Amino acid sequence: MEKGTALTIQADERGLSAREVTISYGGDPIVRELSIDIPHGGLTMIIGPNGCGKSTLVKAFARVLKPVGGRILLHGRDLGGYRAKEAARQVALLPQSPVAPDGITVRGLVRRGRYPHHTLLRQWSPADDAAIAFALERTGLVELADAQASELSGGQRQRAWIAMVLAQETELLLLDEPTTFLDIAHQYELLELCGELHREGRTIVAVLHDLNQAARFASHLVVMNEGRVVAQGPPDEVLTAELVAEVFGLPCDIVPDPRTGTPMVVPHARHPAGEHAPAGRAQVADRA
Amino acid sequence: MTATAERARPGVLRIGRVVALPVHRGYLLAALAVVVLLLGASVATLTLGRLGIPLGELPGALVGGAEGSDAFVLERLRGPRLVVAIGTGAALGLSGALFQSVTRNPLGSPDVIGLGAGAGAGAAVFALLLPGTLPVWLGALAGAALAMGLVYFATGTGFRNPGRLIVAGLGVAAMAFAFTEYVVYVMERDRASVLMAYVNGSLSARDWDHAATIWLVLAVVVPLAALLGRRLDASEMGDELAAGLGADPTRTRVFAVTLSVVLSAGAVSVAGPIAFVALTAPQIARRLTGGTGAHQALAALVGALLLVLADLAAQQAPWSDGLPVGIYTMAIGGVYLGYLLVREWRRGRL
Repeated sequence: MEKGTALTIQADERGLSAREVTISYGGDPIVRELSIDIPHGGLTMIIGPNGCGKSTLVKAFARVLKPVGGRILLHGRDLGGYRAKEAARQVALLPQSPVAPDGITVRGLVRRGRYPHHTLLRQWSPADDAAIAFALERTGLVELADAQASELSGGQRQRAWIAMVLAQETELLLLDEPTTFLDIAHQYELLELCGELHREGRTIVAVLHDLNQAARFASHLVVMNEGRVVAQGPPDEVLTAELVAEVFGLPCDIVPDPRTGTPMVVPHARHPAGEHAPAGRAQVADRA
Repeated sequence: MTATAERARPGVLRIGRVVALPVHRGYLLAALAVVVLLLGASVATLTLGRLGIPLGELPGALVGGAEGSDAFVLERLRGPRLVVAIGTGAALGLSGALFQSVTRNPLGSPDVIGLGAGAGAGAAVFALLLPGTLPVWLGALAGAALAMGLVYFATGTGFRNPGRLIVAGLGVAAMAFAFTEYVVYVMERDRASVLMAYVNGSLSARDWDHAATIWLVLAVVVPLAALLGRRLDASEMGDELAAGLGADPTRTRVFAVTLSVVLSAGAVSVAGPIAFVALTAPQIARRLTGGTGAHQALAALVGALLLVLADLAAQQAPWSDGLPVGIYTMAIGGVYLGYLLVREWRRGRL
């Protein structure tokens, strides 16, 4: 925990932070007086049970939601004081379910990420071509640039959306559950891509569901529950059996991931003396 | 492969250092084709039929040398009717493009969800029930605004949910049509043609005042729609992404719906609630451009083309005999809805 705190104090002025932020959709607050500094240059992953406010917090960072109390700071300045496009040149958001317009090509989709860099009369600049080419190349979509977005597979489509937010050329990338609709291999492909972008110097914040994936890829892990941050820091310090039991209600062991050494959650069997699990095992054994 | 890639990339229109706009070749070709077809249909409108100006005399007549019956046809009969048709079609096409962008749904269109019907009811009230109290176009505007207000509150979630919007809109449209028919029935018991004009829309007997009205509306709204275009493109991808790109989705929606209401009211006040041009024109425009953006301008052109063609049929088809143009656009819309149904069914979405 100490290491995490030292890092955040250094990065205090740069990047995103929340100061006693409260967010509500009109009823009970979803996020309550939450304060956090997003480590600059880090790969921050936010985990927590459904309804804990993790997506809500990310939406507030991207100006989709306005906090009802407290302040969100971008580079030390109140986020609400930025002009919309100015903020959009610093912070990009990939939401959970973006909509691809009918008939658009991958390149057309990626080009739309350039919106905050344009004005009414300047809707093109030489930087556009470079940014679009970089985004397509980085996400491995050069070959598919002229394909219809509607014809892509799930994994390809998610990469196209990542390419779109990359073309936005922001220091900060916010990803709201980017792996949710992907099959397992594409989930890891996407997380690897996040890791590479982070190593190249981007600050990334991602909301994830899978604790093991978060622990494996995050440089900074944030655990939320009931609208508050309950723990944050390097994954191996944050992810303990007690925390998982308390926050997620899941009794488990934490063992080192045999590949990476990062903490790995191994849930206790729910029905230790039940019929299903042993029966299944017996069947496998029979076949073997 | 490289050839396609090159073609898909835009050229850039530059004016000094200030202006740099991407221009897609495919888009320009599509726009050019629609303009050529529109010119062809316009020439046909002026020249065909018993009263048509002979093709050879048309250029002379257009530059001011029309005489006798040609002058009457050009200046009184078909000239204003054609100019009204082009303007109204463009207004409907643009109105539909704006609304469909907001609702992200081809059925979230002014003619389906009661905008046109509301404008028609408003026009009927101030033209027939209370003549002289308000100009008809203001009545149409009030009717359109009222209808949209009803739809907005009936959905409970504003214009965000296309499914609710369409159901609420169909209800409001039905009520508005019923109201219009009531007004016409009470006031004009024995004049079926008046009812036809108010329920289906008609372009017969239009004059230059009608033309001036609809083109004035276009002159005001088109520049504003052009300002809004790219923000609308951003908001098509969902509210959250639009906000992340720095394009406020709520404000964009309010502006787009307002412009759409004004366009619909303008169109209805000169031609009645002509159905389905607003629904089909933007969809055809999208097919033509392949999502390169700026399809709003093309939707206006396609709308003008559709209405001029439909009106050509209304004037010249041998079986026509004074059928209002709205009946033909309804037929176009029916065919298009059938196509939409088959397409969605093939994709397994129905």
